Amino acid sequence: MMKIRFPRPSRRVHAHCDIPCGIYDPEQARIEAESCLRIMEKFGHSEDEAFRTRCLAVKEERAELVKHHLDVLWHDFFKPEHLERFPQLHDTFWQATKQASAVKQTTDPAAARRLLDLIDTIDGMWIAAGGPGTTRVSGRPGAGA
Amino acid sequence: MPWLGIDLVEVVGDSMAPALRPGDLVLAERLTYRVRPPRRGEVVLVADPRFPDRELIKRVAAVGDDGVDLRGENAAASTDSRTFGPVPATSIRWRAIARSWPPRRAGWL
Repeated sequence: MMKIRFPRPSRRVHAHCDIPCGIYDPEQARIEAESCLRIMEKFGHSEDEAFRTRCLAVKEERAELVKHHLDVLWHDFFKPEHLERFPQLHDTFWQATKQASAVKQTTDPAAARRLLDLIDTIDGMWIAAGGPGTTRVSGRPGAGA
Repeated sequence: MPWLGIDLVEVVGDSMAPALRPGDLVLAERLTYRVRPPRRGEVVLVADPRFPDRELIKRVAAVGDDGVDLRGENAAASTDSRTFGPVPATSIRWRAIARSWPPRRAGWL
């Protein structure tokens, strides 16, 4: 019987990406910022010193996570062509990460609300850049794309 | 084993999706670029400027005075000229011409 053999490849070529996952969403930063806001509100309504101390510690941690998630979006998702489309991109990220530092320094919920506004501005650029269709896995129940 | 300037290569990675997916086999030839430089839209094989042992497969986005600008098909998940800059046209020898496997998606690139 004749044996049919398909030619085998001689080498591998890389359709390479430094970040293999390619999953990005400003929602990740927003959830941490929402935690900061809610913690500040609870801090204001409590007179329990132990609880208030714990609030400050958790707020510090969550604000640091906001910075981390924003940095990943800024460095890895947004590319030079986005900067051409959104000239305010760098300034917005700078303001947002500085605002995350401001959230660490205060217990005024207004600081956290301002941080949420800045994250929503970034979210708008992420959506306009096609983020929801390209950087999330489709099929999540209740999700649009 | 390249044979008469034609070779079969296997794709690794996602940055050329949906045109090329991991595991696809691609037919490449090294005659065209002996005659002329790469043109916009062609899919080429080129040594990674940052890790020359690794060979990349990317699409030519533009050809300019400072070299050839390469992009992955899936721009959101590709490391290409946006990171490592344009590459010299003379460094590109192989042109990918067709997807030969899987048969259902076989066709010219």
